[in-house]
Amino acid sequence: MKPLLPLSRRELLKTAAASSLAGLAWPVSSQQAMAQSKTLSVFAPRPPDPAPPGAAKFSEAAFAEWQKANDSSVSYDLVPWPELHDKMATTFASGEHVWDVVYMSGWVPEFAKFLTPFSAKLSKELVDDLPKSSFATVTWGGETSGVVFTLSLLTLFHNTELLQKAGFKEAPKTWDELKAAAKETTRDGQFGWVLNYGEPAGIGGTASYWMCFLQQAGGKLYNDDATPAFNNDAGRAALQMMIDLMPYTDPGSISYVGINDATNVMTAGKAAMMMNWPFMWKPANDPAASKIVGKLAGALLPAGPAGTASIDGTDAWTITKTSKDPDLAIKLIEFYLDKEVQKRQAIDTGWLPIRLSILSDPEVQSALPNAAVVLEQAKHPYDSYVTPDYNEVTVAIGTEINKALAGKSNAKDALAEAESLVSAIVKKRS
Amino acid sequence: MLAAAHAGRRSILQPQRAAQLFLLPSIVVLLLLLAIPVLYSIWLSLTDANLSAGRLDTPFVGLENYSNLLQDKAVHNALLNTLYFTVVEVGGVLLLGLSTALLLNHPLGRWSGFRVLLLLPWAIAPVANAVLWKWIYHANYGVLNAILKSLGVIDSNVTWLGEPFRALNMLLIVDIWKSTPFIAILLLAALQNIPRSLYRAARMDGASAWQSFRYITLPSLKIPLAIAAILQTIWSLRTFDLIFVLTKGGPADGTVVMNFLAYRVTFNFLKFGYGASIANLIFLTSLLLAIAYMRLLKPVGRR
Repeated sequence: MKPLLPLSRRELLKTAAASSLAGLAWPVSSQQAMAQSKTLSVFAPRPPDPAPPGAAKFSEAAFAEWQKANDSSVSYDLVPWPELHDKMATTFASGEHVWDVVYMSGWVPEFAKFLTPFSAKLSKELVDDLPKSSFATVTWGGETSGVVFTLSLLTLFHNTELLQKAGFKEAPKTWDELKAAAKETTRDGQFGWVLNYGEPAGIGGTASYWMCFLQQAGGKLYNDDATPAFNNDAGRAALQMMIDLMPYTDPGSISYVGINDATNVMTAGKAAMMMNWPFMWKPANDPAASKIVGKLAGALLPAGPAGTASIDGTDAWTITKTSKDPDLAIKLIEFYLDKEVQKRQAIDTGWLPIRLSILSDPEVQSALPNAAVVLEQAKHPYDSYVTPDYNEVTVAIGTEINKALAGKSNAKDALAEAESLVSAIVKKRS
Repeated sequence: MLAAAHAGRRSILQPQRAAQLFLLPSIVVLLLLLAIPVLYSIWLSLTDANLSAGRLDTPFVGLENYSNLLQDKAVHNALLNTLYFTVVEVGGVLLLGLSTALLLNHPLGRWSGFRVLLLLPWAIAPVANAVLWKWIYHANYGVLNAILKSLGVIDSNVTWLGEPFRALNMLLIVDIWKSTPFIAILLLAALQNIPRSLYRAARMDGASAWQSFRYITLPSLKIPLAIAAILQTIWSLRTFDLIFVLTKGGPADGTVVMNFLAYRVTFNFLKFGYGASIANLIFLTSLLLAIAYMRLLKPVGRR
């Protein structure tokens, strides 16, 4: 039988020995190479939530190039969005260094002491291209510890076909028009309005939705001395508006615990209107996942007595105090906010850029017609009222709102109880 | 004579020492894995542990967290929910478990396939189970609404998780569905240990089926039923995943039980000390139940 490889026994042994030596030598040379290169660890949400290049499918070649150019490697620790806060809390409590760059969504005040303020080190060209107001939610105690990377405000999404069938040629512009449109589009197993009221806490929870209506009514959450300022006509009008919408709201809304639950109802063509984050545009226009392709349009949130207003999703990058190379971390964040990366982020993932020049880019506006709407919404108030005890405050308010929406309470009693609970929380604020 | 006795005692003691030595690694592992976290949790509950200083600060506050528990409306609400959840769940599981065990013990129910089918709900991973039921209960697309509508039981979709008390009961149904198989198998094993001769004798004495059940089956199952009740109580106190996936404690805190409250206070509000005091309350209850369980497991004469 002819051997497959023409090797003698001696040659075979020599080859094996050489391979073994090479194998032994490899870890040494590899370790030397590793010692030379720098590493960064990034904690971020798993796509389709706003994830960085290399984690989400955009700017992957540019990301590889950046690592090569900076002689560094970036590793991602990605978890589903709802798990971010808790994992962050336990990691920070451990006192160990785990991540250099961390995604935040309204949690900067809560974890400010674990973060390095770095906005002063960002290039002027970049800072000048960002909305000044975008730094509000990443600033606490006078220190700015993050930079927002996507303009994520709640706006109105509506099913043009359902509205037209009900006799409405355009999206509602005022509260009264919203109620009328919701009423008329509630028919044949469809609902005028859908939202996720099941989870009271955090940005995207019941309390945060009420904060939109609160600002539209001309109210605010806190007085200048940080005491509650919402148990008044504006607060009650805001909650009453939500209660008035309930007969035309998908009854499931009271039990939906995540925005995806509500989005799914909208993309199934079962609801005419909802407020949602800009990400919705892409899945709603994906024929594989949506029944309303080409029927979705965006608009400003309907105006209350004080005009339109929204809240900010506050998706930001921050740097931990334990990072051994904060300068490299800043460079990485600047790369995430690079013009071309921001453009690809918008077009490829649907998450809008934060850079004003990219928001007004014709290619971005053509791919994402809602970009112009969000940009317009940003000209009006969009305070999310984030504080170190934001979760506790929003659970207190959101639970009372939930009771009112479920018919177990009314606007007056719900806000009186919420005020009492928030006053107690605020008193303990250090 | 004395020397022989002394030698005998030494030969008895030596294996005991050897056994203790062999057990030492296990005891060390148990101490590391169980005792240290429990003691640390007790310590945390005596502090106002927080992250406000950029590290885990643990200022000592004594029993303040425990006294705050007494005045906290959220704790009162969670305690009531937990009490209701536990009582109904234990009662429901025991009743269904016993009924299922009796059916499986019947000659017609002895096909092994029944037992395999019975164990399926118990074998499903808790989070997967919760996701499964989330879709069953879905207000718009849920199977439950579809079935009930097709049967004419309801006219329009019901939001099963939309009303606080109803939502708590819907969670109970899921947990009872998942927990019943294990208890049924446990009781079935106990049923099969009852001597058949007792039933034959009762039949010869003219006892009815109910009388056989009342005076033979139930007394024979007294200890297994008590064990099942204790185990199920401990498990129902641990309920978390179902609530986390299906309701997040809502609507209007209607499904917040003590275990979920401990999680919310600790990880959402970052009040580690107060959260630990809630967790310790659950731990203490479970510990007392576990002691009762251990006592029941001891042979009758040694209890």
